[in-house]
Amino acid sequence: MTEAALVGRGFPVVVFAAAVLAAEKVSFVLVGSAALWLRGEQVTVGDVDLVIEPGEPNLVRLHESMAGLAVRPDAVPAVHRLRELMVATAVTSYGRVDCLLERGRRDWDQLRQGAGYVAVADAPVLVASAGDAWALRRRFKK
Amino acid sequence: MGQRSGVGLVELAVLEALDARRAWPGRRPAPCLKVLAALEDELGLARGYAYQVLTDLALPWKVPVPLVEGQGNFGSRGNDPPASPYYTEARLSPAGQVALAAERGQIAPVPIGLINGNTHRQGTRPPFRPAAVIDASRQVLLRPRLTARQITALVGPPDFMTGCAVTGDLAALAAGQRTELGLHAQVTVTDAAHASARVTKAAVPGHTPPRAFLRDPSRPVIIVDNFPPYVSTDDTMVSIANRAQEYAWKTRHPELAAQTGLAIKDLRDLTARGDYWFACLPAIDTPPEMLRDQLLKIYGVSIYVSVGLPRPLPAMIRTWTRAHQHEDLQASLTALENALASRQQNA
Repeated sequence: MTEAALVGRGFPVVVFAAAVLAAEKVSFVLVGSAALWLRGEQVTVGDVDLVIEPGEPNLVRLHESMAGLAVRPDAVPAVHRLRELMVATAVTSYGRVDCLLERGRRDWDQLRQGAGYVAVADAPVLVASAGDAWALRRRFKK
Repeated sequence: MGQRSGVGLVELAVLEALDARRAWPGRRPAPCLKVLAALEDELGLARGYAYQVLTDLALPWKVPVPLVEGQGNFGSRGNDPPASPYYTEARLSPAGQVALAAERGQIAPVPIGLINGNTHRQGTRPPFRPAAVIDASRQVLLRPRLTARQITALVGPPDFMTGCAVTGDLAALAAGQRTELGLHAQVTVTDAAHASARVTKAAVPGHTPPRAFLRDPSRPVIIVDNFPPYVSTDDTMVSIANRAQEYAWKTRHPELAAQTGLAIKDLRDLTARGDYWFACLPAIDTPPEMLRDQLLKIYGVSIYVSVGLPRPLPAMIRTWTRAHQHEDLQASLTALENALASRQQNA
């Protein structure tokens, strides 16, 4: 399912990190508070959580894009580490980006199915459905 | 935490270890390596962790009341970490000595824990201005009927030491609710002449104003200083530079590029002698006010911290004074004031 939502100006700055990664053609589903915010929920957005599509070419793109985005590029894990890590975190000029790699390996197909595109500026970002985003939040956040 | 100073237990252990080595204010400092070895032997505190706590207690941009005085390289606000404990020494600061005296019951309690907070160690209690907390405590002692609003006004907003601006729901914080505060560097539009004068004033050998500043002194320049704490200024510099870069995706997504890019012609880190500041030359035809607003949205120029007090701020001060009213709080507050004054004189 895809949808195009027009969101005006006034995004939380950190949401642009997801938009830039989408513009860099990294395949992910945005979950967490940023996804809920884009779905119109009243939440505070502190960081962006991305469920990354598994697969070598996407991990290579993720590594390259994160290295360009992070304030400490040396701290971005190498591709072979991204294959094994559960979560890779990078601090960018937009704020904190958490890449949920293990979640991608387990639930990619299910999350992708419920997700839809939301335009952040002119970059389409794949955002989890509100139901999926809430379900993940309830499961992993007290 | 220590019941009579509010200082954390590990922090108190560090102070005790320094005291045991007679590393008192004005005396010869103790080698950090020996202090850490003692903490490991006596309490099982891992050296790496204990050293982080020790160095944090000495850094004036981390805590408003430094409890330790460090000698040697204790690190900078950039990515320069403290030197190995093999090369550094430390002793109690006058305020550290007051904290220990309060814990031992030699003087009445002091509200150092409330002043220092714990956000410097990823906690949720923000720091406050020492003089304001001392004054508020005194006023509550003298006028127990002071209203919550009056006490809150006396303490004022949290003070993050670096001169950064604090935004957010301060009323919620004072009411004991969890909230988020924005900490923002000062971003000022000025001209190249002003920036050049600041470089020259620092009088650092080899540190000269950039040529572009000298070429056209009337050119608008944006100065970024008074950075928020807890973020490396070097990381902030990279953050700004990253946004000014050209990326291939910018041609495919012009709107995103317009909203995230920074039109900067030149960016300089002109930090010298502990004065941390950057200067940005806006690109031609870029209104400096627009660039200023964009800079304020960059990570490091602005950060957000989650804060919360265990109880409403006025209640914390009231309960504290009431619990210790039978002791000479005025004298201990004066001792803390004097300790802070002596540190400022030494600085």
